[in-house]
Amino acid sequence: MKKFETRVIVIGGGATGTGILRDLSLRGIRCVLVEKDDLASGTTGRNHGLLHSGARYAVKDIISAKECIAENMILKKIARHCVENTGGLFVELPNDDNTYFEKLVTGCRDAGIDCNEIPLNRAMEIEPNLNAEVKRVLKVPDATIDPFRLASANTLDSMEHGAVVLTHTEVVSMIMDQGIVKGIRCFDRLGQEDIEIYGEFVVNAAGIWGQRICNKAGIQFPMHPSKGSMVIIDYRVNNVVVNRCRVPADGDIIVPGDTVSLIGTTSKMIPLEKIDEVTTDDDDIDVLLNGGEALIPNISKTRVLRVFGGVRPLVADTGDTRGRDISRGIVLTDHEERDGLKGFATITGGKLMTYRLMAEKTTDLVCEKLGINRKCETHIIPLPGSERETLSDKQTYKSIPETVVGSTRFRHGERAYRILKGDRKNYSLSCECEMVTSGEIEYAIENLQVKDLVDLRRRTRLGMGPCQGTLCAYRAAGIFFETGAADYENAAKMLIDFMEERWKGIRPVLWGDTLREAEFSYWIYQGLFGLGNLVKETKGRGEGVVVEEEY
Amino acid sequence: MKYDCIIIGGGISGLTCGIKCAKEGMSCAVITAGMSALHFSSGSIDLLGYYPDNTIVHTPADVLNSFAVNKPDHPYAKCGPDIVMEALNFLREELSEQELELCSNGNNNHFHVTPVGTLKPTFLSQKSVFNENINQAFKKNTTISIINFKGYRDFNSDIAAVNLKKHRLFTDCTITSNSIDLQDLQGAVKEAIELRSIDISRIFDKDENLHEIAERLKRAAGDSEFIGVPAVAGLENHKTVYEQLVDLTEKIVYEIPTLPPSIPGMRIDRALKSRFSGLGGVLITGDRIIGGTIVNDQVTRVYTKHHQQEGMTARNVVLASGSFFSGGMVAEIGNIKEPIFGLLVDYPKQREEWRSQLFFQKPAHPFLSFGVRTDENLNPNVQNGPLVKNLFCAGAVLAGYNPISEGSGGGVAAGTGYYAALQAKKRCDDIRKGNE
Repeated sequence: MKKFETRVIVIGGGATGTGILRDLSLRGIRCVLVEKDDLASGTTGRNHGLLHSGARYAVKDIISAKECIAENMILKKIARHCVENTGGLFVELPNDDNTYFEKLVTGCRDAGIDCNEIPLNRAMEIEPNLNAEVKRVLKVPDATIDPFRLASANTLDSMEHGAVVLTHTEVVSMIMDQGIVKGIRCFDRLGQEDIEIYGEFVVNAAGIWGQRICNKAGIQFPMHPSKGSMVIIDYRVNNVVVNRCRVPADGDIIVPGDTVSLIGTTSKMIPLEKIDEVTTDDDDIDVLLNGGEALIPNISKTRVLRVFGGVRPLVADTGDTRGRDISRGIVLTDHEERDGLKGFATITGGKLMTYRLMAEKTTDLVCEKLGINRKCETHIIPLPGSERETLSDKQTYKSIPETVVGSTRFRHGERAYRILKGDRKNYSLSCECEMVTSGEIEYAIENLQVKDLVDLRRRTRLGMGPCQGTLCAYRAAGIFFETGAADYENAAKMLIDFMEERWKGIRPVLWGDTLREAEFSYWIYQGLFGLGNLVKETKGRGEGVVVEEEY
Repeated sequence: MKYDCIIIGGGISGLTCGIKCAKEGMSCAVITAGMSALHFSSGSIDLLGYYPDNTIVHTPADVLNSFAVNKPDHPYAKCGPDIVMEALNFLREELSEQELELCSNGNNNHFHVTPVGTLKPTFLSQKSVFNENINQAFKKNTTISIINFKGYRDFNSDIAAVNLKKHRLFTDCTITSNSIDLQDLQGAVKEAIELRSIDISRIFDKDENLHEIAERLKRAAGDSEFIGVPAVAGLENHKTVYEQLVDLTEKIVYEIPTLPPSIPGMRIDRALKSRFSGLGGVLITGDRIIGGTIVNDQVTRVYTKHHQQEGMTARNVVLASGSFFSGGMVAEIGNIKEPIFGLLVDYPKQREEWRSQLFFQKPAHPFLSFGVRTDENLNPNVQNGPLVKNLFCAGAVLAGYNPISEGSGGGVAAGTGYYAALQAKKRCDDIRKGNE
């Protein structure tokens, strides 16, 4: 049993939790973050990565629209390396309600979102794959954001300001004394160790899992899990965000991101028991592909790489006065006020887009409770990697292929200089699909809270490309052990976990080249390696390997 | 010209068929798009590794009969176990003509070590791969050194060593891992920053390097009796390279397969292709068959990408185009088809039934067994059409077997390829008799 003390404990390693951690540490407050899985492994890493301009909300929800455009402008500055400033289009198709376009223009104007109608030939120039029958096109300042990079950069900055981050560590119970929360008891799944952390304030930023955290504190806090599914296309078929100009519905957006494009999104209520294993039904996939097809014809003929789903933490009961109608807005609950439980607050609702604002509001509340008088600076100070450009001089890297320099800088921003140096062997590619070098893998393991191959994928895109990890996973595993980040005993286990994780997203779209690729992976990992023969139990992490064969 | 036999596909199945046809005096052509499954294989030939309940088969040659009786739709049942064994012997002989020796542990399977240190049953391995009885080969206190080459990431000696040590057979052995640098030797690509198997095999292929490589291996292995190296010990001059390594190191040296490209697989590919050409077969590489005309119960013409207009004619056609990966089968969102002739394919309509819930679930994914349905002569049907009597299907395009969960890929490829050649020969003979 390990015990230690801090000032503030943050539960949840998504955008909100890591955002709060950064805000606290920038205000000089000692803090610890506890995450049961990996950073951005929940809802944060399971959305389409749209940096909303707010236009999507402009017709129905002016408050959200205004929040979005304000945060949009901030994130384009402070999270420059996580954002790709693509721009976005709203396109009206022949059978769409033609009054929506005017409503959208009016809504955007009211919210202060810079939009303008562009001629159709200009729209086709911007996005040549667009449906040629499009009626009207409105240009909006949408962009894309990489949520993995965002959570990682927030964490990195927090740690550089003294914060402690414990991933793969699950909250077991709350430590309470006479109506005051004093800390948490948790379990480190990798180290197989119980930990007690004491603090003056606990923030529940566990998103949809936050309901369970509240239960541990003896509080009822009902949430409505809403599942959103998305399809990833193996090519970047569009360069700007393409929205359908109509009342929000399933399959009405295509977002480009890195080397792929994403079709979003469906919306289905699911029971709370299902939030840990989100599956995508075949009819969801059909709806998304048909929706995508209307915007960009032939998109469904392109290779579908994988599907995934996330769970939105919609709040059913916000305490007293607020109702369901603003349930997608930010909900910050002071449990002292609501339940008479001191030292505990829950932040939920909201969107990835407003994570920083959510963090600011939460940190303001914490400061008020702790009697600290420090102002928020997260809207001014750039995240690590998004500082002012210092590396424009290509000469620095003249011996390294430009593609490698480009990919590394794209992912790590100005921090790329810490990777693109030293021995040339550090530039050797482990993942050819996404241009991830051995050096980048070592950097991620040492600096970015990477504990296994699945975590590594979130920090570097390793295994996210066409081969889905077939060639790079084994290579990366080798680097893992060389750096001492894991011991060889668990090599097979780690590879199996990684392949099973990949399989979840591939399984529902097993046709065409995706099936070919899966056959190839299976040849290698089962046919050549015989990995499936090695491990009896594949549940949980860190379990030993069982050799069960007779020779 | 009209060939006696056109073979679509240049993997083990197509080339075994081609060599047999050529040896039988038939005029034949193999059309191959490029690489085959051999380039991604271990280079060992499986016959039957696992029973349907996933337990290991130790004596495949003995159980083949009963296995075939219980599975009448299995390709082994169609060729007959005797033909399968005859085909494997044929393959061995033809490869040894090209100085590539395949070894078996008598009629038994042997266990080859994989890149992650697991053991897999297989029937034929190259001489450089461990192929003896594993229970007798490693005594108590045996010392084994697994040695990798610096900068080569498609093999990891530490992972292999640690997992190998976990097997009961090796608990009393000392297994160490080590690595040596070969980048200063002749033939090394100096500016290479990521080494692949083929880069290192070129260093081995240079005669002048062998003494130095052996010296370094010996030093790294220390007192160990056995040396395991990734399977990159020469491609063009493999036979000499391997013999020299054993001589010079004065140790028992074995190769362990690696991630693709597979050098042992490429050795087989090269040997089969040059054997086929040497026997007068026509090898057409870099082209692919895109369609064919079927009139009544006969294929009358096939068309390649480069010869779309005139096409090619043959008395017999063998379809050895492989599985999904090779393009022999194509899966679309709601259906699965054989793309060249539109042949009748066995598969369930529901997509959910194509795969297992877990990636490593047993038995293996159903889609691995999907393929063209044939009669006992390997003749397929056109979808909603007649049996095509001069078309024979061989290898992974066939339905009715699961190469990975059964460990039967090599045996089915060679067996059905060989059997297809016999069938084609029979038809040619019948045609000639008819003409006389």
